[in-house]
Amino acid sequence: MSLDARITVRRGDFTLDVEISADAGEVLAVLGPNGSGKSTLLSALSGLLAIDAGRICVDGVVLDDPAADVFVPPEHRPIGVVFQDHVLFAHLNARENVAFGLRARGAGKAQAHSAAMTWLERVGLERFADARPAQLSGGQAQRVALARALATDPALLLLDEPLAALDVSTRQEVRRSLREHLATFPGMRLLVTHDPVDAYALADRVAILEDGRIAQIGTIGQVTAHPRSRYVAELVGTNLVRGVVADGVLVTDTGARIAVAADPGPVFAVIRPQAITLSLSADPSSSARNTWLGVVGDVERLGDRARIGVTGDRGGIDVVAEITTASLDDLALRPGDPVHASLKATDITTYPV
Amino acid sequence: MTSHPRGQRTQLPPAVFALAMIAIAFFALPFIGLLWRAPWGSMLDVLGQESVRTALWLSLRTSLAATFLAFVFGVPLAWLLARVPFPGSSAVRALCTLSMVLPPVVAGVALFFSFGRRGLFGQYLDRWLGIQLPFTTWGVVVAQTFVAMPFLVITVEAALRQMDRRTEDAARTLGGSRWYVFRRVTVPTIQPALVAGGVLAWARALGEFGATITFAGNFPGTTQTMPLATYLALETDPQEALVISIVLIAVSFAVLVGLRDRWLHGARATLA
Repeated sequence: MSLDARITVRRGDFTLDVEISADAGEVLAVLGPNGSGKSTLLSALSGLLAIDAGRICVDGVVLDDPAADVFVPPEHRPIGVVFQDHVLFAHLNARENVAFGLRARGAGKAQAHSAAMTWLERVGLERFADARPAQLSGGQAQRVALARALATDPALLLLDEPLAALDVSTRQEVRRSLREHLATFPGMRLLVTHDPVDAYALADRVAILEDGRIAQIGTIGQVTAHPRSRYVAELVGTNLVRGVVADGVLVTDTGARIAVAADPGPVFAVIRPQAITLSLSADPSSSARNTWLGVVGDVERLGDRARIGVTGDRGGIDVVAEITTASLDDLALRPGDPVHASLKATDITTYPV
Repeated sequence: MTSHPRGQRTQLPPAVFALAMIAIAFFALPFIGLLWRAPWGSMLDVLGQESVRTALWLSLRTSLAATFLAFVFGVPLAWLLARVPFPGSSAVRALCTLSMVLPPVVAGVALFFSFGRRGLFGQYLDRWLGIQLPFTTWGVVVAQTFVAMPFLVITVEAALRQMDRRTEDAARTLGGSRWYVFRRVTVPTIQPALVAGGVLAWARALGEFGATITFAGNFPGTTQTMPLATYLALETDPQEALVISIVLIAVSFAVLVGLRDRWLHGARATLA
């Protein structure tokens, strides 16, 4: 299974011009701020909007190609969509919502409803089969929406800001549920979001969309470590660490130990590069709970800032630190130099996995 | 009770309250006057009269036929106006709702000169298809549809504009064709508006007088509907006019009250 798309859509002054591809089992996140063209991209892929130029191909089947005069309408595309704030059918109960796609494709009522029940069980909502969307919480409704999209067995699943409309605690619950169910989904998944944490939590690769164009595309590690522009750096150029918190200490997957202010349990920790202080000697009087010795790796200058890769020594973590170019010049850091990194526990943001 | 926010919100200034009371009285007094003069004793006798039953039956048939036609043509029109942007759409909308604000007699005159036997289009209807509308029951239906359909159109159009289009998008991506989505998603979503608009149109058709008498005339059995019969009876037999009026009021009031609780509240809940 594969997705290959070259998409050009013109709408007034705005032009979306992107090329993306994805393979079976892969989660690609498209990350960008409002107005960058994320929704237009999803509309084009799902067939709600015809493209002006280019070609959309899923599993070798051409879905949209203006030059060849091919356009497959949305109802005939092997593509499921999970919309922002669920967009469930208010006049149908949860089971009927999930069964809708199967019914629309001609399945009998009994067959569609029993398949829908299986899906509701998978997302843990079989008890709510007879509930109308208005009776469900935001998180429950979004899980029903996920089941509804997956029930038609699409080759490509599009997720449009699936967590954006949820409050913080619900967001964690749904993010976990999404991770779980997307992991077992064999097709391709394309997640559109403006929140880097969603991309980290759910995606393998990330494409950064800026003004209708892809500014950078790569694995999350690549993009985070080497943002190609100031814009990308601000959006995603942050350190992400996975690990387990116990007694105020986060033990990372690589075995490093970091003091954090967080509840116990498995977490993602986000460390902003700007929060890391670099110095040539350890400062014993510092209030920072975390200090470690590392070795300078890449040094990248982006305007008046510099991003410095630091490889942790003996239990230290690998991070990217961002300092001003003036500081960089004062410290005269070069690749291979030893450096002391420090970080306050309160500057680490954690998200339960 | 100087500083009581709840009280301030619910209590009106005395002048406003007084004016509102006058408004209620203004609506209530005519009905009280009518009911006061009603010949309650001979009510059933009058209703049993051939002429009254004929008018009642004709009104029922024509108003329901007009409502049916309003649905058949009005829902697609509302759909077009709500969903398809085209140049001059606001002019078309104004044209299609003009008969709602026009004096009904003017609507009747317009119908007469266009669809009458000698009318601009009516002569061809007669010559080619053998269809004559004026002074026939179908003329009554046409006149009623002409004035009643806009009520359905504007109600349904507003609901179509208010509904979340992404609901239809979601249904398309789930495999629903345009027609399937219309039947299974759009119609159920705007159902309260369809019912409310249909009732408004039906009530307007039932009460139609000016356009009907101008275009279709006043022939017992073919074009003399309840409102026409009421008007005629007022000159010959005021008792009969009173009875027919009470029947019309009772029907209208029952429909309004019944639908208010069942549908109009539902409409608010759905759109909220």
